[in-house]
Amino acid sequence: MRIVRRTRPIRYKALVTALLAVGFALAAGALVFAGQGVNPLEAYAVMVSGALGSLNGLAEVAVKAVPLTLTGLSVAVAATMLLWNIGAEGQFVWGAIGAGWAALYLSPFLPTALVIPACLLCGALAGALWAMIPAALRVRYGVSEILTTLLLNYVAIIFMEHLYFGPWRDPMAFGFPGTPTFPEASWLPRLGKTRLHLGALVAVLAAAGLHLLLARTKWGYRIRVTGRSAQAARYAGMNTSRQTYAVMATAGALAGLAGMGEVCGIHYLIREGINPGYGYDGIIVACLAGLRPALVPVYGVVLGTFLIGADRLQSAMQLPSSIGLVLEGALLLGLLAAEAVTRFRIASGKGDDNV
Amino acid sequence: MFEDIIFIATIAIKSSIAVLFAAVGEVFAERSGVLNLGVEGMMLTGAMVGAAAGIAWGDPWLAAGCGMLAGAALAAVHAFFAINLKADQTLSGLAIAIFGAGLAGFLGRAIIGERGVRFGLEALPVLSDIPVLGGIFFKQNALAYVAYILVPLTAWVLFRTRLGLKIRAVGEDAPAADAMGVNVTLVRWGCVLFGGLLAGLGGCYLSLAYTPGWKDGMTMGQGWIAIAMVIFSGWRPGRAALGALLFGALAALQWNFEANGSELIPAWILKMLPYVLTIVVLVLVKRFGTSGRGNAPSALGIPFHRM
Amino acid sequence: MSENAPLLSCRGVTKRFGEVVANRDITFEVRSGQVQALLGENGAGKSTLMSVIAGRFRPDAGEIHVRGELVQFSRPADAMRMGIGMVYQRFMLVERLTVAENIRLSAHSCGIGSREADRRMAELSERYGLGVDPSRTVGSLSMGERQRAEILKLLVQNANILIFDEPTAVLSQPEAEGLFKIFDRLRQNGCGVVFITHKLEEVMAAADHISILRRGRIIASVAPGEIESKRELARLMVGREFVLAVDKPELNPGETVLELKHFAGSGASGRTGFEGVNLSVRRGEILAVIGVAGNGQSALAAAVTGNTDAGLAESGSVTFGDETVSAPDWKGHHGIAHVPEDRHNTGSVHDMTLAENYALTRLDAAGDGPWFDLSRIAKKTQKAIENYSIRATGAEDMAGSLSGGNLQKLILARELARKPELFVAEQPTQGLDIASTEEIWAALIRQRKHSGILLFSGDLKEVLTLADRIAVMFRGRILEVLDALDADAVARIGLLMAGGETAEGDSQCA
Repeated sequence: MRIVRRTRPIRYKALVTALLAVGFALAAGALVFAGQGVNPLEAYAVMVSGALGSLNGLAEVAVKAVPLTLTGLSVAVAATMLLWNIGAEGQFVWGAIGAGWAALYLSPFLPTALVIPACLLCGALAGALWAMIPAALRVRYGVSEILTTLLLNYVAIIFMEHLYFGPWRDPMAFGFPGTPTFPEASWLPRLGKTRLHLGALVAVLAAAGLHLLLARTKWGYRIRVTGRSAQAARYAGMNTSRQTYAVMATAGALAGLAGMGEVCGIHYLIREGINPGYGYDGIIVACLAGLRPALVPVYGVVLGTFLIGADRLQSAMQLPSSIGLVLEGALLLGLLAAEAVTRFRIASGKGDDNV
Repeated sequence: MFEDIIFIATIAIKSSIAVLFAAVGEVFAERSGVLNLGVEGMMLTGAMVGAAAGIAWGDPWLAAGCGMLAGAALAAVHAFFAINLKADQTLSGLAIAIFGAGLAGFLGRAIIGERGVRFGLEALPVLSDIPVLGGIFFKQNALAYVAYILVPLTAWVLFRTRLGLKIRAVGEDAPAADAMGVNVTLVRWGCVLFGGLLAGLGGCYLSLAYTPGWKDGMTMGQGWIAIAMVIFSGWRPGRAALGALLFGALAALQWNFEANGSELIPAWILKMLPYVLTIVVLVLVKRFGTSGRGNAPSALGIPFHRM
Repeated sequence: MSENAPLLSCRGVTKRFGEVVANRDITFEVRSGQVQALLGENGAGKSTLMSVIAGRFRPDAGEIHVRGELVQFSRPADAMRMGIGMVYQRFMLVERLTVAENIRLSAHSCGIGSREADRRMAELSERYGLGVDPSRTVGSLSMGERQRAEILKLLVQNANILIFDEPTAVLSQPEAEGLFKIFDRLRQNGCGVVFITHKLEEVMAAADHISILRRGRIIASVAPGEIESKRELARLMVGREFVLAVDKPELNPGETVLELKHFAGSGASGRTGFEGVNLSVRRGEILAVIGVAGNGQSALAAAVTGNTDAGLAESGSVTFGDETVSAPDWKGHHGIAHVPEDRHNTGSVHDMTLAENYALTRLDAAGDGPWFDLSRIAKKTQKAIENYSIRATGAEDMAGSLSGGNLQKLILARELARKPELFVAEQPTQGLDIASTEEIWAALIRQRKHSGILLFSGDLKEVLTLADRIAVMFRGRILEVLDALDADAVARIGLLMAGGETAEGDSQCA
């Protein structure tokens, strides 16, 4: 028996891959739970019932899915052109900052109806501009965007902390430092008594829009070609530099919108903890979705379920919610394993190639 | 004033060791052609395991060993994905970084705040009496001395031994090395594991010598800085140590300003500087580096198939 | 182990890749002191057989004996240990290391220490007339020198069965002659040599024995003395008269579409640049630029088409149609269609469908405005598939699944459909089988009606068949432009490709 490359891909490859990935993650999680003396089945039961067992739970999953979808789209669109946007976290933060600026300092000058659009615009713009820095470094100097986007995340977070500890700090608040609460005009409307806000609509529209953009426009076609073969793209006369800027700006805007959604839809202010790592989660969502915008919301919901479940674990069984991170990492690894598994098959008999 | 400078220099050395270990390890991994982005996760897990082992058994060296093994264990996962499964090395490394960070945070909650063992300051006899330099270099903890030996040793191995020749060949042109009888898979595994061991050691340094103790996320991006330093170093251990020193100097300056309550540079800008400077360094390397493609091993990131 | 056993003997060797049988029941042997040629057209299975012998592939059936002993190789190192050394087209040398480091490295895996390896290097280099300076990095050597370093490496490892895969593909004429002299020395010292080629002249000149491979089988095994003419060899190789006759009707050239004056530029990534190029191409004619690989053709082609990956225009002027542009400002033109040398990575995207590949340089056919209409392109692709007899299931096939010939036909179809003023083709039939080659030649000849054609090729036969005028390129300069109908053309071109006036003793025979 030997392991041999497949010549034709499996059917339903994407689905099989995702299922295998989830399975792997669950298995890894079970190991961790068992190692902590916790019954894995019990733990998973708590997670599932907490996330999906009630209307409130479902709404919370949807709430989580909003930033996950947007950052997932952010990473996906960049990755379509083989650009690794590890900086979605920083762009998210800047989206929050931009929206916060619009809410706190611009809104007094605007009619009420324009405040939310202003926040949306500023959030997206801030994220886009932040993403243009690594884009420029890549185009002009050939510096890999992996490290630059990542390092800039730390910079963004430090700056945000400086803002809500310093110049933007609410003098009236005692306890944890943060900005003043945003004016109501900037609050994204919610669905009923749940925390599900308008950002969900933005996320869905963004996914649909990105799908159309990539599949049905010439611009999208060019991005896809460049991602598969930069050489062929250059041969065909495509302006890969301009494309890099456009794609990173789009990615930054999407992540920025995620940040805006969180501060204008959930927290109504900026303080520590508004960025629990959605930027990094977006990488996992994008990979699970196979970089397809139409599937990103689906896996946003899947990951949202994982995370809400992990939250419930924290309260119900006193397990730290960083189990969520463990599961995510395991998900990504599971994805890679699944990718590999679907690329190879077991061949029987001797005399096949060496691999 | 002069004493201040010596003191800052001492702290600079002290602050550079973690990045140094991680960077030297990564030099080997990348020289063999495997990109390992999981360093941050390996450092964190190493730090946590090291701290926990120290609390459990009280021996700093044993604890460091455990931390190194933890780093190597994570590295083994990455090696399996990248080398055997030929998966995308960027993704695999990122997955380890995320997973390692989460695992460390998850398992480490039990020991947050506990003071375990530490590598105390050990002034070396004779050497520490050298004026100026003696105080800076030879009044450090034991792991720092390990680092001093490690740098020239690894440089010698890489450039002057058969093993180093094999590693460099594999990283430049794996099919050619394979045709020449080198076991590419074994060499790459070895280098990635070595990188993991050192990343774990770097993490241990933080939890057993620098801070000490365990705090969630205590590496604060030093793993990523180490990776950037590898690029800056042109994949040479000696220069990687220099890059680590650069980071250490910045950290020392930061500390100095904070300690003196000086408002010369606002605290938040100081905090940003290591990351911004690393980016600047990366740009400069590209701008003024020797050849267009840089000195990166030619096969870096490309999985090896024998067809 | 019998005394008279051949150095190497294959019996009944078969190798499959999925459905394709690359080698079928091969029986073949090499004796000490013998040069054995393996002749076959592209795709006949020569490289596969060599890879099996060298231990890279395991045969599905059959036996291999080395010096009378049955062997089974699971990796190249096993074959190396038995004395089999393979010189591939792509040299197995690490460019950044020196020759000595490379040789020491491979010697280590045979248990030979560095000092011993150095000693052998010096001795063997002398004995076989290889003349390579061990302290130079491989990257700084010419192709001929690299090949000799490769040979030296194998000899240091005690190889006495040397296998060469298309060794003269990257060599100039004098370098090729130098190689055959080395074959002589190898023969004299009792080694066995196998060389794979599709060039009939070489086989007649250098081999003691010829085995002809066709569609995976050895269909003939003869000595050169037994062959009457190259024609007969060709017939054996291909199964029919290998005349490659294409109909080339007379055509009067029209207006000039491209004119290059004092055109100079550099090559990217270490490629040779070009200078002082004065060329013009008219509609209705085919101008061929011929030269050994590595003399500036890629850079020139890149500069003309504007694709900066391989080269950049730096000085001089380009006149396209009515416009004259100075070289630094020249970025190509949409009226220029380009079939690149690398059809797999540059000319196409292997994991996109044929339709998506067709759109690569024909986005205008995918709809107006910003919208990309896949179905419109798919229809055009389907038509191209039919018109050019491309073997594919449909426009939905992945480009990577197409054979070289079919992929090239698709690229050609796409580029021709652009109705260009100037058509640039780089090595368009390299590595393709006879049938595809003929079809592509016919298509290019037909295209003369609409465009001027600039053909870059290293294949003399191709150039003589297709071109109206032939420019010979050497070390970045155009030495001469000849008329194809010139009776002395063939001889003159061969001379010019090697550098010019003197027939031998030229300095580039390093």
